[in-house]
Amino acid sequence: MANSEPVPPDQAPPSDSEEINGTDETFEEGEDTEYEEVEEEEEEDELDPVKERERLKSIFRRLSTDPVHVRVHDVVIKGNTKTKDAIIEAEISDLFKTPKTVQELVAAASIANARLKQLDVFDSVSITLDAGPTELPGTTNVVIEVVEASSPLTGNVGVFSKPESRSWSLEGSLKLKNLFGHADIWDTSGIFGWDQSLEISTGVWLPRFRSVPTPLSARAFLLSQDWLKFSSYKERLMGLNFGLLSTNNHDLSYNLTWRTLTDPTRMSSPSIRRQLGHNMLSALKYCYKIDRRDSHLRPKSGYAFSSTSQVSGLWDLRGLKFFRQEFDLRAATPLGFWNTALNVGLSAGVTLPLGRDFTKLSTSVPDRFFLGGHSSLVCSLGGPSSLLGFQTRGLGPTDMRRVVNSNKDEGSVQSDGHDFVGGDLAVTAFADVSFDLPLKIFRDAGIHGHAFICAGNLAKLSEGEIKNFSPERFLKTFRSSAGVGVILPTKFCRVEINYCHVLKQFEQDRGKNGIQFSFSSPL
Amino acid sequence: MADSRSSGDRHLLLVARKPRFGLPTACPSCLPVYLYLKLANADFSVEFDSSFSDADHIPYVEYGESVALNNEKGGVIEVLKEDDILDLNAKHTSLAIPDLVSTKAMVSSWLYEAILYELWIAIGGDIAHDIYFSDLPWPIGKILHWKKIYDVKKLLGVTKVNCEARELEIYKKANEAYDALSLKLGDQVFFFDNRPTDVDALFLGHALFVLHALPETSELRRNLLKHDSLVKYAEHLKAELQLDSTPSSTQPSSSSKDASTPSAPRRKPSSGWGSKPNPKPKKEKTEEQKKFRRRAKYFLAAQLVAVLVFLSLMGVSSESEIDDEDAVDYDEE
Repeated sequence: MANSEPVPPDQAPPSDSEEINGTDETFEEGEDTEYEEVEEEEEEDELDPVKERERLKSIFRRLSTDPVHVRVHDVVIKGNTKTKDAIIEAEISDLFKTPKTVQELVAAASIANARLKQLDVFDSVSITLDAGPTELPGTTNVVIEVVEASSPLTGNVGVFSKPESRSWSLEGSLKLKNLFGHADIWDTSGIFGWDQSLEISTGVWLPRFRSVPTPLSARAFLLSQDWLKFSSYKERLMGLNFGLLSTNNHDLSYNLTWRTLTDPTRMSSPSIRRQLGHNMLSALKYCYKIDRRDSHLRPKSGYAFSSTSQVSGLWDLRGLKFFRQEFDLRAATPLGFWNTALNVGLSAGVTLPLGRDFTKLSTSVPDRFFLGGHSSLVCSLGGPSSLLGFQTRGLGPTDMRRVVNSNKDEGSVQSDGHDFVGGDLAVTAFADVSFDLPLKIFRDAGIHGHAFICAGNLAKLSEGEIKNFSPERFLKTFRSSAGVGVILPTKFCRVEINYCHVLKQFEQDRGKNGIQFSFSSPL
Repeated sequence: MADSRSSGDRHLLLVARKPRFGLPTACPSCLPVYLYLKLANADFSVEFDSSFSDADHIPYVEYGESVALNNEKGGVIEVLKEDDILDLNAKHTSLAIPDLVSTKAMVSSWLYEAILYELWIAIGGDIAHDIYFSDLPWPIGKILHWKKIYDVKKLLGVTKVNCEARELEIYKKANEAYDALSLKLGDQVFFFDNRPTDVDALFLGHALFVLHALPETSELRRNLLKHDSLVKYAEHLKAELQLDSTPSSTQPSSSSKDASTPSAPRRKPSSGWGSKPNPKPKKEKTEEQKKFRRRAKYFLAAQLVAVLVFLSLMGVSSESEIDDEDAVDYDEE
């Protein structure tokens, strides 16, 4: 505070400091003369609250509209007993160098507050703009007061749906925050998926490490997925994942995984049988994502785009070597009546083996594309995956499962159907119109309806099939479905209840007309 | 070579471990199957699997839409006989059968255990690594190698305490088997009735592996070399079957499949991830059961949705009540 006679708390000028913590705001000036005038005025009007309010309003008005120049003299950090000063300073250093007016300073303080809260290691963050030294008029000190998390151990349980997963999952995690004072977050999580997947992982997240300005993460995981019903194999992955670069739009990560495919049922088709075994996946993955839609749950305007590129084969020549690329483009526009909006999307993906004579080589089944499932068309952003009306992995190239001579004398044979082996090229497209429901109670709860049409197709390009690929035939063999449904955005998850009608499918596809449920994250 | 009863002239596809040491396939479980097909003059081709080291279903033979896996019904050879695909023993008289079965049991147990012990415990890692793990990335190969050694020790009952005693026992049984087989063979070309049987395939595979894959320091190899008749038998058949030339084979077209892997003992599924004792194909559920399960799922889902809707609507109405209560007349200030 500026140097002045001590003033009783109840008569203290409330406008002398600004506290950015999302509650109340007051401004402080660094000029002594104005403060003395305020004090004189206060002494005169101390019993007149109306005049006091008017005075405050005029000060606020002046500070908010007129460019009051000020310079940051010093940044003072308080309350951090465990967290290193350097961590907090690194988050906010660029914000207080450039502002020149009080308005810019207030905006910068808001951003700094948000950044520090985003570290997730503080219970509260309070930023006060205090008067600078009296010998330096026109300066201010920024005082950052943090309250570190009282309980560094937190737990969390929830229902989520990640873009890359095929269905919703129940996740539980334990987090240990700020163990070493670098705003480091250690966590252990377990995820159980509806599609009989199980993942256990542990990792650490750092907001910055030495000279690297972006967050870094390292994770060890063990994941088991059961695809026996669809493709006659079980997948087990064990490995390490390193997040190298993570910003709002860019994400670069490295993955080193030991992958094992097994078939306990011994009923797999020949092409799956040849894929069984151990592989090392050493891959660099880059993801660019931009989402300018106004909402993730019910977008009515804007666009979104994501591109994911993956190159595998970085360990040595004996690991899996392939290149995988996915694109996803969405757009939303309001239709101008009854709060309806049109969402359209187009996504495509291709995977190709790397190596000499790559056209003759084969791709690994888990790295191919599969279409089907009940994931939301509008919410999920991350490559071709969902096609309503079809079961998970319910369309595309197939191979016949093993035939077992169950009774040699009678000559009867038993076959368990077909394995869906996935495609190297996948394309999906959809159009979705969302609209409000007639009852007000539904509108207030955010419950709305939608009508959709979607289409998709898979094609094999590896093992020499790229020569036989024909774009015309690919377009002619597109599967499609249409339907209507209701969307319920609840606190726990986003529920979609759709009636789907399959418009076009082929003999081996598993499309089915009827009601389907879809659960996704409420975020 | 002798005729064999086969189900038509169908083409067979053998998937085995990769060739090495001048042998068409270096794995001691795969070599007998290869030799069985060769002795039967079967029309077959070979593919090599290089990524499933601990698979107990390899080797396997595909014929049409069916497949004979090594971890079913006693092995590939037994399945081929049972399915009337290929039976080398068909022409033999019934008098030779008891002798044949007991000889086969001796070769399949005593000599098989001897090879397991020699390859995984006695000699050390290099040969086993070359056969099974050389094409896998190093960390995976190393871990699987250790796991296989542990599994073999468990199967053979070898512990730190009884290691030497167990070794003596295994070599003693192998020697007895060699003595018995040497006497049985005599001057014949094959063990039984001058016609090849599955015993010939099994023992020839064992002998060729011991002579060509194991090093000179191997105790088992030294013991086999003492039996001239058996050595001559193996070398003679190797030349007859032209095993020196690389078999017409195709590599699997997967870009990542290079390594070969150890196969688990035939009699017992390995404790690896990939096996389950005697799984049977699922019986088809009845229509009624499917319908019931489908209806049950819809019922549960409808209940869940109803609860979620109720909670959401309750949340909306309580929020609107709170808004009304919190309304403050700011004009009064």
